[in-house]
Amino acid sequence: MPMCLVYWRLELKRAYQRFPQMFAGATALLFLAGAVALLAGRALYGDAAAGRIAVGVVMPKEDALAKQMISMVSSLDSVNSMCDLQYMEREEGIKGLMSGRLSAVMDVPEGLIQGIMDGTNPTVRILMPKDAWLESRIFQELTRAGAEILAASQAGIYAGNEMYLSSGREDKIPELERDLNQIFLSYSLPREDYFQHRQVSATGDVPALVFYGISAYVLFLLLLAIPVSGYLLPVKPALRQKLTLAGVGSLCRVTGRISGLASLLFTISLILGLASWGIWGAKNGWDKDFFGGMTALLFLLLTCLAASAFVVLLYQAAGTLLGAIMLLFLVVTAQHFLAGGFLPLVFLPSGMRGIASVMPSAILMDGVKLLITGEWSVLAAGKLVFLCLGGALGAVILEEWEGRKGL
Amino acid sequence: MLEVTSLYKSYRNHKVLSGVSLIAPPGECVGIVGSNGCGKTTLLSILAGAVRADKGSIRFHGREAVGHPKVFYEEAAYVPQENPLMEDLTVKDNLSLWYQGSKKRMEEDLQTGAAAMLGIGEMLKKPVRTLSGGMKKRLSIACALSNHGSVLILDEPGAALDLECKADIRNYLEKYRKEGGTILLTSHELSELSLCTAMYVLKEGELQKIHTGMSEQQLIETFRKE
Repeated sequence: MPMCLVYWRLELKRAYQRFPQMFAGATALLFLAGAVALLAGRALYGDAAAGRIAVGVVMPKEDALAKQMISMVSSLDSVNSMCDLQYMEREEGIKGLMSGRLSAVMDVPEGLIQGIMDGTNPTVRILMPKDAWLESRIFQELTRAGAEILAASQAGIYAGNEMYLSSGREDKIPELERDLNQIFLSYSLPREDYFQHRQVSATGDVPALVFYGISAYVLFLLLLAIPVSGYLLPVKPALRQKLTLAGVGSLCRVTGRISGLASLLFTISLILGLASWGIWGAKNGWDKDFFGGMTALLFLLLTCLAASAFVVLLYQAAGTLLGAIMLLFLVVTAQHFLAGGFLPLVFLPSGMRGIASVMPSAILMDGVKLLITGEWSVLAAGKLVFLCLGGALGAVILEEWEGRKGL
Repeated sequence: MLEVTSLYKSYRNHKVLSGVSLIAPPGECVGIVGSNGCGKTTLLSILAGAVRADKGSIRFHGREAVGHPKVFYEEAAYVPQENPLMEDLTVKDNLSLWYQGSKKRMEEDLQTGAAAMLGIGEMLKKPVRTLSGGMKKRLSIACALSNHGSVLILDEPGAALDLECKADIRNYLEKYRKEGGTILLTSHELSELSLCTAMYVLKEGELQKIHTGMSEQQLIETFRKE
């Protein structure tokens, strides 16, 4: 059997001897990565973004008409789909604003309906917190749009009234007002139909939760090398000399270590995948296509190989155990940030966005994203191959240089 | 038979070997002594093919080895000072690497060959990291001799070993030599040097033949002589 094959077989055996350490490390890292992803998600989007906009409504006492109108407004699709209107006293509304429980308070004046009818239009005051956040701003836009529709409908009704009065056909005015009211209401009810529905997310084509899941998994893959650091260090000089004499050169030694680490990462990923399948299946029913078939497995293997090549390059560059762990942690964390792994790229300065796509984490995240979406891309696969070959080549050059130092 | 002729080696401007020549016939044990840093390890590494000489010739049984790594690999059984072992694997795994996965050849040597004489068969399943220094050295020698090389090259074989281990290794080397093997070793210990049938001192890059059986004081004076 060729010496290199024997060496690779032994490297795999060495790698799998470290499996218990890696498994224990993986469990600890999973908790850590999960906590980081959760905190980052909350820091960016908060808890309330997924909730509804709570609005306090302060009504004048015994104004049945105004109450009826607000009730009608709250039943409008555009309002109802987003807002919860709650009737309350002014003091309670102010307290709600200050405590953050309410996003806005509508202070309805006396004689609102009469004012709309006679054109005096008394102002409905909208109170918002000093540092109005997303929900308050949405409500502000909503009320502005409502006021504009109201103004347009009033202008239409007054113009029509004027026309009928000047032509002596006052009897037609009630019919005109009823028709115009219906027309403008019909515009306001299904207002969403007039907009192009397009979901925009800072995290691209995957939801924030999935994005942070991918980011955490990539970080997890890279940092998972720490529990098996002893395996990843280059061989001792005496063994290197002997192996070189026997025909096991730098390429064989480095690729042996990369394959060993990649096998461990692949096994751990499969276990994680099975666990996710189990949890998902128990909640949503068992999906046979969950793993995406052979292409997905090959993509996962390629991702693990690319991550391993990058890690082995760092260990080769460091040379010592402590140095390697520190270098791995610093480089992985820094480049993961630059790759938009902690904060999506849109939140980073434009100068940084340019280099993001060449960061190893970005390449790995693109690979994992494809695993999730199932939309296979030659470009993403090419980038993974590039990372894999680049990492391996860098490590081979360093190993060769180290070996030649004493020659 | 090992024949070395006019070997030169320098690191940057520092000359380590300046025209070293020696002959080690079969059945001989050649000892090389010298003060620390005089170039003994470099000389042995060159003879094992691990380091390239700047100039010179190295012949094993008449076959030129310089520029032919295969000759080094087939003829030289090199045991460096640091044990070249994969510590987290078992003794058997380490042997299988150097026997290139050939179970048949390994079993033969474990029955009747060098591995048997070194008592490797008793520790096959043990992880190398759990072995004593002496056992590791025996395993290193067994691994080196897996190629059945004609010249055994040892760099301070007894360094950091206890007396019992040193005696074991010495007994094996004596047996190996008497069976017609060629040994080339460096050492600072008289007990190991007592095995040698020929001795050289390496000083200022040159080898000078000295008498065997010298006392410690005589050796020190030899090192100091201008």
